[in-house]
Amino acid sequence: MIARLVLNGRPREVDVRPNETLLELLRDTLGVFDAKEGCDEGVCGVCTVLLDRRPVSACLVLAAGVRGRAVLTLRGLERDGGLHPLQEAFVKHGAVQCGFCTPGMLLTTLAFLERQPRPDREAIRAALEGNLCRCTGYTKIVDAVEAYVRGHD
Amino acid sequence: MTDAVATREGLRVVGQPVVRHDARDKVAAATAYAADWALPGMLYAAVLRSPYPAARIVRLDTAKAAAMAGVAVVLTAKDVPRNTLSTDVPGQTTAVGPLRATLHVLAEGRVRHQGEPVALVAAETLELAHAAVETIEIEYEPTAGVFSPEAALAPGAPAVHGPGNLLAQWRIARGDVTTALRDAAVVVEGEYTTQMVDAAYLEPESGVAWIDSDGVITIRLSTQVIEHFRDVAEVLQVPQNRVRVIGTYLGGGFGGKEDVTVEAYLGLLALKTGRPVKMVWTRHESLLSRAKRHPYRLRYRTGANARGEIVAQQIELLGDAGAYAYLSALVLLYSTVTAAGPYRVPAVEVDARVAYTNNPPTSAMRGFGAMQTVFAYESQLDRVARALGVDPVMIRRVNALRRGDTLPVGQVIETHVALPELAERAWSALGPPTQPRAAHVRVGRGLSCNFQPYGRIVWLHDWASAWLGFEMDGSLVVRCGCPDVGGGQASSLCQIAAEVLGVSLARISVHVSDSALTPLAGTTTASRQLYMSGNAVLKTARELRAQLLGVAGALLGADADALDMEDDQVVTTDGRTLAIPRLLAECARAGVARSHLGVYHAPAGEPVDLAKGSGKVFPDYTFGAHAAEVEVDTETGVVRVLRFAAAHDVGRAINPQSVEGQIQGGAVQGLGYGLMEEVVLDRGINLTTSFATYLIPTAADVPDVRAVVVESGEGLGPFNARGIGEPPIGPPAAAIANAIEHATGVRITRLPITAERVARGLGLLD
Amino acid sequence: MAPETLDDALGLLRRHGDEAKVLAGGQSLIPILHYRLARPRVVIDINALPLADIALDDGRIGIGALVRYHQLEESEALAGRCPVLGEAARLIGNVRVRTLGTVGGSLVHGDPAAELPAVMTALDARIAVASASGRRAVAAREFFTGPLTTALAPDEIVTGIEVAALPAHGAAVEELSRRAGDFAIVAVVALVSLDRRGHVEEARVAFGGVADRPVHARAAEDALRGREPSAETLARAAHAARDALAPPSDAFVSGAYRRHVAGVLCRRALTRAVERARR
Repeated sequence: MIARLVLNGRPREVDVRPNETLLELLRDTLGVFDAKEGCDEGVCGVCTVLLDRRPVSACLVLAAGVRGRAVLTLRGLERDGGLHPLQEAFVKHGAVQCGFCTPGMLLTTLAFLERQPRPDREAIRAALEGNLCRCTGYTKIVDAVEAYVRGHD
Repeated sequence: MTDAVATREGLRVVGQPVVRHDARDKVAAATAYAADWALPGMLYAAVLRSPYPAARIVRLDTAKAAAMAGVAVVLTAKDVPRNTLSTDVPGQTTAVGPLRATLHVLAEGRVRHQGEPVALVAAETLELAHAAVETIEIEYEPTAGVFSPEAALAPGAPAVHGPGNLLAQWRIARGDVTTALRDAAVVVEGEYTTQMVDAAYLEPESGVAWIDSDGVITIRLSTQVIEHFRDVAEVLQVPQNRVRVIGTYLGGGFGGKEDVTVEAYLGLLALKTGRPVKMVWTRHESLLSRAKRHPYRLRYRTGANARGEIVAQQIELLGDAGAYAYLSALVLLYSTVTAAGPYRVPAVEVDARVAYTNNPPTSAMRGFGAMQTVFAYESQLDRVARALGVDPVMIRRVNALRRGDTLPVGQVIETHVALPELAERAWSALGPPTQPRAAHVRVGRGLSCNFQPYGRIVWLHDWASAWLGFEMDGSLVVRCGCPDVGGGQASSLCQIAAEVLGVSLARISVHVSDSALTPLAGTTTASRQLYMSGNAVLKTARELRAQLLGVAGALLGADADALDMEDDQVVTTDGRTLAIPRLLAECARAGVARSHLGVYHAPAGEPVDLAKGSGKVFPDYTFGAHAAEVEVDTETGVVRVLRFAAAHDVGRAINPQSVEGQIQGGAVQGLGYGLMEEVVLDRGINLTTSFATYLIPTAADVPDVRAVVVESGEGLGPFNARGIGEPPIGPPAAAIANAIEHATGVRITRLPITAERVARGLGLLD
Repeated sequence: MAPETLDDALGLLRRHGDEAKVLAGGQSLIPILHYRLARPRVVIDINALPLADIALDDGRIGIGALVRYHQLEESEALAGRCPVLGEAARLIGNVRVRTLGTVGGSLVHGDPAAELPAVMTALDARIAVASASGRRAVAAREFFTGPLTTALAPDEIVTGIEVAALPAHGAAVEELSRRAGDFAIVAVVALVSLDRRGHVEEARVAFGGVADRPVHARAAEDALRGREPSAETLARAAHAARDALAPPSDAFVSGAYRRHVAGVLCRRALTRAVERARR
């Protein structure tokens, strides 16, 4: 089945199998490894992508279901070959250790800030509660998001 | 060679919170993790695992599965050239004999735990591989199993391996415990239970294997130990130089990727099919059957005098080794050595045992046995303090080890012990007490200290090597076998090289973790990598520097000892400079090498008879203190951590931001252990094989962790650094338990501290 | 298969019956497919059907089956008219589940610990059901028949829910879970409306997580009706509700604990609901 979608701003036409998930489409068919595989049931958040600007678990979305929609993965944040300021903030504040949760954290944060541009630390934590991290203990991730928010005031 | 670089004031790069090169790559999705790899013609692998915790395999027929279209191969034990992965664990007590921790690659005739691998499939798609697994015809005959160490050690218990089920036993006896307890002003008796937990890294076990054009079986995987190439070669019965392990940047390790995981299967399948093969474990598979942390029963009798000084500890430990030994004997050794805590204790008895059961196997995990004991010894100390009316900081100050004191095992503490300072700083970092926000809420605070060995046991003669070389344009290459688990291991090596050789970080590239192409540096475990690889790079850099400055001195007409290297050039005391490329050109002309391979050997020792208490076991220890403020809902038992501070003496922080990150991450993993993580087993059947049931902390479950970094300047690592990977995971559970007692008077002695356990303690369910 | 009209979807369902599964948000179905716990021959994707409206007229509230959880959270109209829906939606799963998960999906899945089945039970909502043979409405209080089991026939689809005009009220959801954002160990939904004297005119209370289906706490409602909502009265009502429960134990939480917590949360939910009703 042919499906047309917009991936990271570019229109794509792909052949999808009926049971294929968006995560499998991205990783196995399109070779886009930004979204990771962590738990196969939408709990851990490492497969987070933005679908029409809202976060979804790519492992819980059928590839066929994104026909006509816009999908954003981490590399879609690139700006003129450089990093998005939120990515810079993560790097600068030590919010990245093993990095496996990072794509999901970044995308979830951006989608959240579109709706709530000036959150406090507690609100940031609540917004990220669906993205597990095993390495950082979250403090520096919250530091990075807070710094980014301040920098945008 | 000057030691000027070792002084604190002279450091330019070490001690700076530099941005890690891998952090940039990771935010840009440029890092290819083990599963982010595809090769033409690649097959997908799946594993058939036993649903039973104890059973005989009465029938196994793979013909139908092997005949399926798209299935390349189906393998069982008979197809494995050498079906044994064994670890000889040295230093065992004669009570149980020398240890051969035999493990099969694929089960032979019987299975001993749920999830034990029985067969392997490689197929054109993952879906086909799973379908083939389900088509394998297999019949089990369940046999009697044992599911607790107590049951396993009872007379007549079914044998997991040999009769008796006792895998290892360590004993320490020092001083007269009986008399000391009899004469003590207070004796506190406690029994503590710690649970089985999972490493729960977000990246599952993953890898891809292929045979390269040279016939070398190459396995690219997420691992903490690239030296397993030897184990794979033995399994495949090929020469060791025909197996290469490329370790990727891990998506977390925590000890769970220390044993052989996917590499033996991948090597086998690549060899049998001649094609590239990919294996990625599902979360279910990983939670089901990957080796876990040893659960313990810890029985303590702690005696103290009226001044609060501990006079005796009588300790009994019983651990669950699960179905296979893996590293259990060593884990037990760590528990035994640390059982009395970072304190002066004149009379100590420790009797530690670990037994086989038909539960999931237990092995290495961050803390490695020195973590479970913290819950017991810090809970005990808190209870002693309470009984005597002494405050928690004071009792640690009174009892803390000092330089020159002797551990129960006979090891003399040779470095400064910052414990009293750490306890005070962690405690005061909590700030003014939070007032309870409602009538049904109580607030309390708790303290917990620990010490964690870093560096391997001294009689294992640890070593690490590194290669540093300049390119002609003055850029530098670092090669070191050190796997990077996400803690900035590779980045720290660059910092050290930059410090010694004066090369800017932007001009250093580092290659790690390739068993064929990077000099071996040992495992990324035991909080040893900064100590070992860091020292290897430091030593190698210094030796290379000496080599180069000899040539520079001749060029500049100056004494080599008076030269420095900074900002990508050599400088003299009177301000003349020599650009590095110019120096390198001169080296080439003079036949002096621009590169160097160095080896660092850790100071070694002879095996210690623990029972005789005769000496040094670990090179050194990292001391820490954590403080927690909690809120307890006295109507529901729900515990919320309001504030948390974690202080460690790291000797020197090579990268302060990385050090804070380790402390914060370890502390939160420790909070998960304290409050919510548990592998729940029902007669060997795992009920928590999903992230929906095996719970790790989210951002909403924990507060900010205030990391307090103390630098005593005493440590065996480069620039006097100490290991920090494991220490922060130890204290949190006891800090929480102590805080809950402070808030409510209820003492919880079983982990995890769930709301229901607190509710029962409060009498809400009576 | 992705039908565009309800009749098409119902026709497909009639034809394929037991061999078909309906796909809406996918948050429950896709893991089931992935783990091969079910192997339907046909998956009917109903996301194109026009069932995503939130309608408020005449005091009645109508919510289409394909309304996503985040829409319940974000709807200002609902916040004004029936805030308990948004409050409950905010507690469901994680942000990704709330992007795609649907009201219909939650009801059809029928998890006894889920928030929306408990909310619909408290609201005394009517669940609109359609098949190729016609339409019917089932009271929420009769819709859930067992663990993950509902009164829905294999050839039926839930098209939406309807709540009859609610009097001015205050409402609250209280939940206890093992970790922030997990499914609930116990959840309570309470709505209270007060008469001119400040006495309880009407109360609607339901529990999730305490039985094999949501529990309508009639005993609590009876203990409140006509009474002044003093702390003592609310406590008595909560105890009455608690005493009517016999929650099961599982490997993680005991029935005794669930029962105790149900009583505590019920009292708290009623207290907050009354406070809000007074405003």
